[in-house]
Amino acid sequence: MSMVVDARGLACPQPVIRTRAALQSGDLVTTIVDNVTAQQNVTRMAEKAGCLVRAEVRDDGIYLDIRREGVAAQEASLAAGSAPAGGPLVLTVPSEFMGRGDEVLGQILVRAFFHTLGEVEPLPDTIVFLNGGVKLVVTGSPVLDDLKGLCDRGISILACGTCLGHYGLKDQIAAGEVSNMYTIAETLLGAGKVVSL
Amino acid sequence: MPGGLYAVILVYSTSHAMRIEKLLAERGIACKMIPVPRQISSDCGVCIRVARDDKEAALAVVASSGIEIQGIAEV
Repeated sequence: MSMVVDARGLACPQPVIRTRAALQSGDLVTTIVDNVTAQQNVTRMAEKAGCLVRAEVRDDGIYLDIRREGVAAQEASLAAGSAPAGGPLVLTVPSEFMGRGDEVLGQILVRAFFHTLGEVEPLPDTIVFLNGGVKLVVTGSPVLDDLKGLCDRGISILACGTCLGHYGLKDQIAAGEVSNMYTIAETLLGAGKVVSL
Repeated sequence: MPGGLYAVILVYSTSHAMRIEKLLAERGIACKMIPVPRQISSDCGVCIRVARDDKEAALAVVASSGIEIQGIAEV
């Protein structure tokens, strides 16, 4: 049974929420979105849930044909509360500074930290940048080259879209991808361990 | 340590590191403030890394600034 989710004009994370709801009652969903960020967010959620996603750009929107491959494990990944014990290592960066106190020192420390991250183990699987932390993923950031290196090594870098918007930086993201609270919450709750900088 | 790609300028304080970084950037010498490598000890936890080929040019900039440094090491 095929369902259509018309998510054009909806603010994030509504396209993800509605697509997810549709996938829980059907194996074939077509979600229509009107921007690339929504396309990426819906695609990421669907692929994580074990679905195949085919995108088609038409004049009136981006059509995402999502087909769920029906196995029990993927059912489980769609259900809430399935956090694995030995799951991914997630690092959250809630500020552009490391530690509280002097901000000049805080930025020196954050630069030293991201340089060192390329040289130590274990590496995080995902780094989530929140609030003032998103200033580290945009053009002109002092740690941009380090972050690009981490991206190249397969580490997922998520920047809170609400936060980028708040600081007027949404069009300046230069490392990682714009994310939403739905994905961020899932990433944190599904982690084996969360380390906050 | 022969054969290293970089030289690190060791300093006495983070404020000196920041001043050197700024001076080098102004003169177009690529540099990066990094934690002092584990095998080296220093009074300050951060240092300024430059390409080994830029070592002499960087030292000249530092010398003319009057900032006292603790040393330089190739890494």
